[in-house]
Amino acid sequence: MSWPERFLAELVRLGVQQARARRLTEDTAAQAAEQACDPGGLFGPPHLYARHLVAELAAPVAAPPRFTQAGPVLLNLTGVGKRYRRRTVFDNVDLTVRGGEVAAVVGANGCGKSTLLRICAGLTRPDAGQVRRTRRVGYVPQDGGTAGWLTADEHFTLFGAAAGVVPRRARSTGAHLAARLAWRPEPAQRAQQLSGGTRQKLNLVLGELHAPDLLLLDEPYQGFDQGTYVDFWRQVHSWRDAGRAVVVVTHLLHDLSTVDHVLDLGEQR
Amino acid sequence: MTALVVAGLSAREVSRRRTAVLLVISLPLWFYLVRRDQTGQSIRMLSLGIGWSISTLTLFVMNASRGVDPRLRLNGASVAGLVSGRLLAMSGAGALLALGYWALISLDQRVPHPFAAGLIMLLAALVAAPFGSLVGALLPRELEGALALLSVCAVQMLADPAGLVAKLMPFWSIREIGTYAVDDTGIDYLWRGLTHFAVVWIVCTAGTLAVFAHRLRIAHYPEP
Repeated sequence: MSWPERFLAELVRLGVQQARARRLTEDTAAQAAEQACDPGGLFGPPHLYARHLVAELAAPVAAPPRFTQAGPVLLNLTGVGKRYRRRTVFDNVDLTVRGGEVAAVVGANGCGKSTLLRICAGLTRPDAGQVRRTRRVGYVPQDGGTAGWLTADEHFTLFGAAAGVVPRRARSTGAHLAARLAWRPEPAQRAQQLSGGTRQKLNLVLGELHAPDLLLLDEPYQGFDQGTYVDFWRQVHSWRDAGRAVVVVTHLLHDLSTVDHVLDLGEQR
Repeated sequence: MTALVVAGLSAREVSRRRTAVLLVISLPLWFYLVRRDQTGQSIRMLSLGIGWSISTLTLFVMNASRGVDPRLRLNGASVAGLVSGRLLAMSGAGALLALGYWALISLDQRVPHPFAAGLIMLLAALVAAPFGSLVGALLPRELEGALALLSVCAVQMLADPAGLVAKLMPFWSIREIGTYAVDDTGIDYLWRGLTHFAVVWIVCTAGTLAVFAHRLRIAHYPEP
């Protein structure tokens, strides 16, 4: 039996429903493919990883070390649903995130993670339910969101101008935030010349440039190397410690141990 | 401030696409050269070429901003700031192009009203920017938008100028003012052309603003 088959069998044996176990297996295989690794090399023996995963998904998430208490509610979803024509993408989604908390949105491909994040941002309207959120929000899309022919500095100027920040201050803030992700933008390098990971760093900086209270991140680490990935989570925790709320769409299941809430859209269906 | 920053950066973005800029500059020249032996026709065709170039350029600039605009709106930018910034940049580029070709016409042709000849090139550029942006707003995919512009310009070239179809096209003012500039007709041609330009400019600008205001609307949620 191959690694995914053994992993799937172990999940089923541990009581995970067949359909859900299959989705988890697909997600795990996709993660391994993204890292260009064989699943055994990345996750270890399938039965151990299956047990670890079931424990992660079932148990309440352990509170990571923190320096601040949870603050006021910055995002509240009650009974939120979205349909595209006759297809229900998700229904009855509830989520409350306070300042100083990190929430992860997980689920299989196509279950509406990005749509939910766009609803939180206000870019897409829900068909049902109620959304309440703080006014200052930063949104980092999964891809796109930058202008290919502009440099990083020009992006800082543009996004700063939208938020009413003068160009010089926007550029210095952008450079400072980039340095926290171990990135120093080249003055003449255009966004289309950046590697995928570096473009995602630019995306992250642009989402944070106007100091929002709530950050909505849609799989922001795509293309990150291991060091940048660690820097990213350090950055997420520093936002949390500064009293901000962060919602991260992820399919990397090992991220879940470091967040305060997990919203599994796969379970909503 | 947003509009000025958007205008400056849009102009910079376009200027980096060297091949596209070269083609935008040269397209009206081919229109001019094929009819160079006929003064009136060559100037009208040149102006139509300027209109086609600038409207296509604006279409692509508007389409290229689709990924960035929602994020800029979330950061606090207004739809008017974003749209007017891009229109300002494209109108400025069009005005420069018109100025350059006016200098060429002044050296190469003799017309009774040289300033009116310059005016039709300028108006072609100024109406092309909101027209290209309206087409880009209504047809967000580049191929469809480019084909729509091609159809409009072809109809404008081929339609009987006295007929209703030609008058409904965005560049009809070029023909009217061109008749005044080249054939030395009455000044009523100039006024009719200017009126047509003003109506088309207002309709295209208002239409662009309306479509983008709808597309870039942000849901305003109550605070928790």
